[in-house]
Amino acid sequence: MATETADDVLSVHDLKSYFFSREGTLRAIDGLSFNLKAGKVLGIAGESGCGKSVTAQSILRILPRHGKTVSGQVLLTRDGKVTDLLALGEESSEIRRIRGKEIAMIFQEPMTSFSPVHTIGDQIIETIRLHRGLSKAQARASAIEILESVGMPHPSRTIDEYPFNLSGGMRQRAMIAMALSCNPRVLIADEPTTAVDVTIQAQVLELIRQMQAQLGMAVIMITHDLGVIAELADHVLIMYLGRGVEFGSVEQIFHNPKHPYTRGLLASIPKLQKGHTLVEPIKGAVPNPYDAPAGCPFHPRCPQFMQGTCEVTMPQVVEVEPGHWVACHLYGGEDQR
Amino acid sequence: MLDFLMRRMLLMIPTLFIVSGISFFVIQAPPGDFVTAHVQRLEDRGQIVDREAIEAMRARYGLDQPAHVQYVRWIRSMFRGDLGMSFDWGAPVSRVIARRIPNSLIISLFSFLFVYAVAIPIGMLSATRQYSVADYFFTFVAFVGLGIPNFLFALVMLWVVYSMTGQVLIGLFSAEYVDAAWSWARFMDMLRHVWIPAIIVGTAGTAKIVRVMRASLLDELQKPYVMVARAKGLSRSHVNYKYPFRIAINPVVSTIGWTLPSLITGEMLVSLVLGLPTLAPIFLRALQMQDMYLAGGIVFVLTLLTLLGTLISDILLGWIDPRIRFSSM
Repeated sequence: MATETADDVLSVHDLKSYFFSREGTLRAIDGLSFNLKAGKVLGIAGESGCGKSVTAQSILRILPRHGKTVSGQVLLTRDGKVTDLLALGEESSEIRRIRGKEIAMIFQEPMTSFSPVHTIGDQIIETIRLHRGLSKAQARASAIEILESVGMPHPSRTIDEYPFNLSGGMRQRAMIAMALSCNPRVLIADEPTTAVDVTIQAQVLELIRQMQAQLGMAVIMITHDLGVIAELADHVLIMYLGRGVEFGSVEQIFHNPKHPYTRGLLASIPKLQKGHTLVEPIKGAVPNPYDAPAGCPFHPRCPQFMQGTCEVTMPQVVEVEPGHWVACHLYGGEDQR
Repeated sequence: MLDFLMRRMLLMIPTLFIVSGISFFVIQAPPGDFVTAHVQRLEDRGQIVDREAIEAMRARYGLDQPAHVQYVRWIRSMFRGDLGMSFDWGAPVSRVIARRIPNSLIISLFSFLFVYAVAIPIGMLSATRQYSVADYFFTFVAFVGLGIPNFLFALVMLWVVYSMTGQVLIGLFSAEYVDAAWSWARFMDMLRHVWIPAIIVGTAGTAKIVRVMRASLLDELQKPYVMVARAKGLSRSHVNYKYPFRIAINPVVSTIGWTLPSLITGEMLVSLVLGLPTLAPIFLRALQMQDMYLAGGIVFVLTLLTLLGTLISDILLGWIDPRIRFSSM
């Protein structure tokens, strides 16, 4: 989805990542394409199980044991030089120089994302020393500086704390500090606010926005919360069952949603009207991913289902207005199997 | 940490009291006492022992008192470091035990080293290569090891070594060193003999620890922090050594507490089969002869050693795991 331009820092083409198990093959990502522009925030939204986190793990090549990226391209542009991350070995030194340095990631669970038996300082300093070649003392000073910049109270003391001695909000700050410690070009934030208290969520989002503006990095914000997207993102990718169904600027997606699934997602955000809370849930549930429906994967739940078309062929991606792409038979386009 | 240590050591005192009390009364439980057993033996040889002599003997040993009085006496003398006299050996219990205990400790120590030196790497291999041929092979071997009783394994080993080399692997020392004082040569001679009982005693424990290590590491390998560490750019082997291996070892360290008692009982059985000069044969004899102070003294010393082992495992665990160091201590 979306045309390539010179200012793309990361572009993903026809990515397919599958999980192989005794139950069969799970097509977690099945032909996903999108572009991330330098210095911009791309929000990726969709229900649980649509492949948002697997997308992030596929880009960094850190899929869990049974997962495998079977095809596609992930192009990282650095100072005019383009590298296909999928062409690198999963354990090669090239990909390891990119992980944590060029592309850093913030994970969902700040508690379990840190080793419980090492101090947070130990784990941050490790990243700095690995990529920036600093001495122990320099790396420590740098880590304290970063902790301070993410608003960690008493950084020179908290650096020696174990994760279980910190609050959820402080742990997520430490996580963000660790991700930012090597000035990445791209920051992937995988549900960074899901596991923290509501009161902390706003602080974490504000911090990411602030650091993004300060460091000028590009951000992929993965979330199931469209409110987070509306607040932070420049562009939005809506995912359903391992595919992108709609891509556009945040205004296009929120004011002129085209795909019935996007419309359904927007309608399912609780709204207050005359004292009543109105929620319109999308009917049905996400299908069993081991047995994805034929044709458009959304057709069994779609309110605008067209017999004879939707369950037969996969809709093609169409540009409905400049920069606004949608994969739906309602908007025509040639058939694609 | 110091606070924790003090509390743990204080807790050992009531534990020792309870164990010593229970074992004393269990040893007392069978009908008769040492004098009955002794007289029985004399009469078997055709000697006639008159009643007065028997009563005099009872009075001399304090066996005419009720059991609880004997217990209090025993405990009281224990506070002075006196474990009492062995009726059977006619010598202080402490001296009888002291002569045998180094051999018991050596076998237990070597089987302990064997257990952990073998189990930890195999457990790690099994977990990192889950469902591989190596994993299945070691799992199979571990269950066989777990299933074979120690005494049977000892007999099989005796036969195997005898039929292959013609040597009878009985005892802990070669003939010329049995009664020699400790020296480098005697130590080396002991090393040549100790591995057989150590392996026999350790097999079952090894199998258990392999399972603990494997399960614990499998758990850790899929924790989010492993993916986070890989996302930082660390190589997989570096990640494994620094994080999951390090954390998965904690449950293994806590197994030391329950491995020690089983090693000690395992050592007892194997020593009887292999005829090793450890505490086991004299313990068995003391029980048969109702030589209660010797039997009680051995139980006491074994309990003390087990408690010390558990204490050491707790200290180790607190040392390597900050979550324990910072909580309830």
